[in-house]
Parts: sequence; C-alpha cells; structure tokens
Amino acid sequence: MFGLGVLKGMWVTFKNFVLSYFSKDHLVTVQYPEEKIPEKERFRNFPFLIYDDKPEDLRCVSCDICAKECPPKCITIVRDSDAQGKPLKRPKVFDIDFSICMNCGICEEVCPFDAIFMDHEFEIAEFGRFEDLNYHKEDLLKSNEYFAKIRPQDVARIDAKRREKTKKTEPPQTTPTT
Amino acid sequence: MDIFGLIGPASFYGFMAGILVLAVLTVTTRNLFHSAIFLAFTLIGVACIYFFLRAEFLGGVQILLYVGAIMTLVIFAIMLTAKMGDPSIPQSNRQRLPVFLALAALAFLLVPQIVKTSWKVVESLKTTSAVELGQALMSEFVLPFELISIVLLAALIGAIAIARSDQ
Amino acid sequence: METIDQAFVLGKRAALNWMSAFLPDWTMVFVSIIISATAIVIFGPVTMMYLTWFERKLVGRIQNRFGPNRVGPWGLLQPIADGIKMLTKEDIVPEHADKFAHFLAPVVIVIPALLIFSVVPFGRGMVAVDLSIGILFFLALSSTTTIWIFVASWGSRNKFSLLGGMRSVAQMISYEIPMVLSVVPVLLVVGSFSTVSIVEAQSGWNWFIFTPWGIAGFLVFFLTGVAEVNRTPFDLPEGESEIVAGFHTEYSGMKFALFYMAEFMNAFSISGIVATAYLGGWQGPWLPSWAWFFIKTYALVFVMMWFRGTFPRLRVDQLMGFAWKVLLPLTLANIFIAALWLNLESPKNNLISALVLVAIVTIIYWANRPEVPKKRIYRYAYED
Repeated sequence: MFGLGVLKGMWVTFKNFVLSYFSKDHLVTVQYPEEKIPEKERFRNFPFLIYDDKPEDLRCVSCDICAKECPPKCITIVRDSDAQGKPLKRPKVFDIDFSICMNCGICEEVCPFDAIFMDHEFEIAEFGRFEDLNYHKEDLLKSNEYFAKIRPQDVARIDAKRREKTKKTEPPQTTPTT
Repeated sequence: MDIFGLIGPASFYGFMAGILVLAVLTVTTRNLFHSAIFLAFTLIGVACIYFFLRAEFLGGVQILLYVGAIMTLVIFAIMLTAKMGDPSIPQSNRQRLPVFLALAALAFLLVPQIVKTSWKVVESLKTTSAVELGQALMSEFVLPFELISIVLLAALIGAIAIARSDQ
Repeated sequence: METIDQAFVLGKRAALNWMSAFLPDWTMVFVSIIISATAIVIFGPVTMMYLTWFERKLVGRIQNRFGPNRVGPWGLLQPIADGIKMLTKEDIVPEHADKFAHFLAPVVIVIPALLIFSVVPFGRGMVAVDLSIGILFFLALSSTTTIWIFVASWGSRNKFSLLGGMRSVAQMISYEIPMVLSVVPVLLVVGSFSTVSIVEAQSGWNWFIFTPWGIAGFLVFFLTGVAEVNRTPFDLPEGESEIVAGFHTEYSGMKFALFYMAEFMNAFSISGIVATAYLGGWQGPWLPSWAWFFIKTYALVFVMMWFRGTFPRLRVDQLMGFAWKVLLPLTLANIFIAALWLNLESPKNNLISALVLVAIVTIIYWANRPEVPKKRIYRYAYED
C-alpha cells in the first residue's frame, strides 16, 4: 500500500536506535585509542630491518636493491667499511623517510636476504615534518622474535627457507651474517 | 507612581518616533531591497502599536498578513526588478513640481479638517476580542464577508485555471 | 507535590519578594518582566545547544554510531566546545554581498524564535504572557521567519543561497496555510486563542488527540510544523547535497550559529505548541505539570529527529503536492469534522466524525493515488 513505506522505514531506524543500546552488532564504531581492532597478519605498514640474535647481526648486507627499487626513493643506504677502507657487508647508514614511504612493500618483495619487512606499527605521528619522520638504522632495527610475533606464518616459511640455505652453504662455513 | 505614568506614554511616543524614522528610511533609501526591509520593520512597528493599544488580534493579523504574506510578495517583486541597487537612477522624475503643488493643496484642505475634528477618545482601552469580531462577521457583516469569500474563490479558481497545464 | 508543581512560579515570587524590600514599588512590574524575559533568553539558547547534542546522539545511534562522546561524560560538553569554536571563528562576508542585509538577517531571525517562547505554557501558571491571541501570535511570528531567510539569501549574493531562499519562501508560504487551518478546530472547540485556556480545556484525559478531528489535526499540525522549521524531510531550503547549504551558504562563525539557533529554537517551540494544542500541554497525572510539558515536547522533538534519521529529502513537486493536495483538503475537511463533533451529542459525535474522517481520508487517498502508466505492449511490424 502506498504510504506504508514511511512507517516501515521509521520502524527500521527505531529498531536500530534501540538495539544500539543492547547489541554490539548495532554499534559498530570502535573507540580507537581505547580499543583497537586486532591487526590482520597480512596487514603491512612501514618497513623495518630485522636482526637475528643481537642488534649487530642484522641481515642486511647493504646490497642497495631495495633503495633502487623503492618507487618514491625513500631509502638511503651507505655501505660500511673497515679501517682500510675495504667495504663491508653491512650498512653504515640505513635511513627510511617515513614521510615519503608509501607502504607499497616492494622492498620486502625484492630483498634477497629477507632483511627488510613490513611492520604493523602505525601510530608514528610526529610534530616535525622532516627529521622526526626520517628513521635511522637504530630506530628501524627489530628482532626476529618480534617479527615472529606479528607475522607467525611468514616467519615459519622464511626461517625454514633460511635454514635450508645455511645447510646448503654449510661446507664453506662462511655465513654472510658477520 | 508618577514615573510609572510617564513611562507608558514616553515609550509609546518613542516607539512612534522610531516607526516614523523607519518609514522615512523606507522611502529615502536608494537600494530597493533595503527599503523593503525597512518597510517590513515599519509594518512590524505598526503591529506593535496595535499591541500597545490592546488590539492584540489586529496586531497578530497585521504581522501574519502584512509582514508574513505581503512583504514576501513585495520582496519577490523586487527580486524581479532590474538595477535595484544602482544609485545613478533618479528617485523622482520631472513632474516633481506639479505633484508637490497638488499635494500641498490637498494638505491645505485636509490638515485643518483633521485638526478641527473632535476625535472620540475612549478613556479606558477596551480589548478587542476575536470572539466578538467573529460573531460580528457572521451576523451583522455576513454579506460583505460572503462577498469577499466569493471574490477569493473566484481568484483561486482563476489561478488554478491559469496554472493548469493544457492537456 | 504542589510546591514541586509550582517550583518555578514560587521561585520567581520569592525573588520578587526579596527584591521588593529594597526596590521602589513601581519597578516591580519591570523586575517581573525582566525575570521572565531573562529566563526565556537563557532557556532558549541552552535548549538549542542541547538539542544539537541530542540530535547528533540520536542520529548517531540510528546509524549504529556513538555520536559525540569525547567532550565530557557522554559528550555533554560538546555544545559548549562547539559554541567556543563558533565564537572564535572568522566572520567572513563575501566581497559583493549586500553587507547590511547579510548582517541583519541572522540577527533578526532569532527574535521571533525567542518571542514565541513567551506564549508557550511551560506548566501550570508558567507562561510569560497569557496573550489573548496566543496561537495567532505564534503563527504570525513564525510566518515572519520567511522574510529573514530570504534577506539572508539575497544578501549573500550567491546563487546557491538564492536558490535556497526561494525554495524556503515557496515552501513556507505553502505550508503556512495548512498550518493555520489545522489549528482552527482547536480554536473552534476551545473558543479562545489563548494557549493557557487551550490547555485548560484539555483537563483530565480530554486531550484533543483522543478525538477523531484531533488525530488528523495533530498529524497535519505536526507535519506542517516540521516543514515550517525546514527540517528533514522538508529541508529543501538547505539541501546539502544539492545547493551546498542553502540560504546560509555564505555564513560562518557566530552568524551561522544564530541561524542554527533560530532553527532549533523554532523546532522546540513548535513541538511545544503542538503539544499544547493537541497533546494536552502540561495536563497529566502524577508528575508535576512542567515535567509533563517537557516530556511531551521532547517526545515530539524526538520524532522530528527520528524523521531526520529516517527519511530522504522530498522532491520540490512532491513537497508542493503534499501541501496542496493532501494537507489542505484534509485540514478544510477537518474543520467541518470538528464542527460536527461539537454540535452532536457526546456518544454519537465521536462515531459520526470518525466515519466522516475515514471517508474523507479515503477520498483524498484515492484522489492522490500514484499514477501508474499503462504497460506498453511492443509489437513488431511483421506481426500485423
């Protein structure tokens, strides 16, 4: 009947109004700073650098692939060198400017040494626009345990792969991590 | 008590002066839209005079009809006027002098008469009741009342006839 | 009980008594006026502030959200934060605007909204002025709002403003007529314009909504009231999705807030007048009189906001058609029904007027049935 739709619509809104006081399904807003939606495992945000046991053992060999692949060019890598000026397989400077990073995850894709991964941390607001968001090596370093906590499936796969690799390269006994 | 007796008339005459100022502004403002606004204020002021004189029904009707309805029409008419805010358009035309003379003659005839007439002054203000008005309309003045309604009905039907789309 | 019922009246009397000790006698009239006026001037804006909070909360809940809940407990301080924000915002006047009209409109539009409160009976003996033309006063004042909306829209020199203003004028003039006519049955039965005597005529459970003409009159009066204050679904003058914000497009800061204030105070006072005219005003058992008035008024305000959370905006032709083709004939017939009800004996009159009402509603419904175009039958040329 023409005109009944008005009452039907009002009944729908009234139901939603009343149920919002009783049922969580009818009050979908999450009160963000107090309660948070648990992050999904595949959620990706800004990149971080991974180390195995102690912060000096970082997996990065400063091959510069990620810096080259990075579409907005937010990664700066300077290779470390020893006293004779011989280049070492570790970075002296590893900066990621989070004000430029666009969270694409290409660095993670291209890294041949499984050294850089996307983090779940997203509350990184700062007051300064330039230096505050330029993260240095020390800020970026996170342990493999942390990585295992946020992305357990990926860690299982990557650790298995790395074990396999070290087994194959066992005879020469020179691991790239030192 | 003296002061209380004074405040009533004082506020009344002050009010009247204000209405006169608004009326003068209505006719002297160069911008037509502004003069319409002043006209609205003047009409509200007239309604307030009715309230002062305890003719509340008349005051209410004055606001409802003049301010609410007729002023809206006036504003719509002004909206369709071209060049309403242009100060270069003269406000009066060349027949200024003859009109002034004719008006002066009229005033010469009217003003002495107005002054001479002994106006019937009601000492105690009587509230005009809407009930009495309605009863008068339905008994004593029923013929003019019905005539007016016929005129309105004719106007209404005419409006519908004009607005109706040809089918 | 009696003291709670008369709390505000007694409070005013006590204040007057206290002041009469050191003020001369002739000032007492003015002091009394000033107390009433101050009460209204404070009550109006505070009501408006909390109506904004109430509306946001309610519409939020309807949309499965919380609504404001950050400033103070349950967001109760939100209106104050909004007020501070409004006051400190820059006041922008468009360069080619008519400065005088642009300034005048928001200032003047609040005056009728506040004046209407003076005839609203908030409780037994709680009316600022018992005007003999109470309802007419309300109708007259609410009709003046149109002009100031139009002045605002014209003064802004903005095409969206002007469109909104013209829509507003067309809408308010159209809805004025059924609005005035829908109160006539009440005046017919009560025999007075005064809001106080209208409420007194509904003592006991004789609220006018329980009569056949009362139901129709209440619905029409309330719907036209919603249309008069430009609220959804009749909010064409400020249709955000079409004409930015309608007549207040070019207003910012406190001037905008004044328009908002006028709108919300009108919404409240119209609810109050509808409650007075048809829902028995402050009449009711057990609770004090003013509590009943506020319960009824806020129930109507709730319905207004419920409308806002439910209905989409009407089209212009639907809006005009609703006023002229549905509401106007219904109100005209309703006057006749009320006259029937008044002139027949008591048990018979309800039945007969209800029957007439049902018949008339059926006729109006039938006359307004949606026109369904005939189904077209397509035929190919070779079928002949």
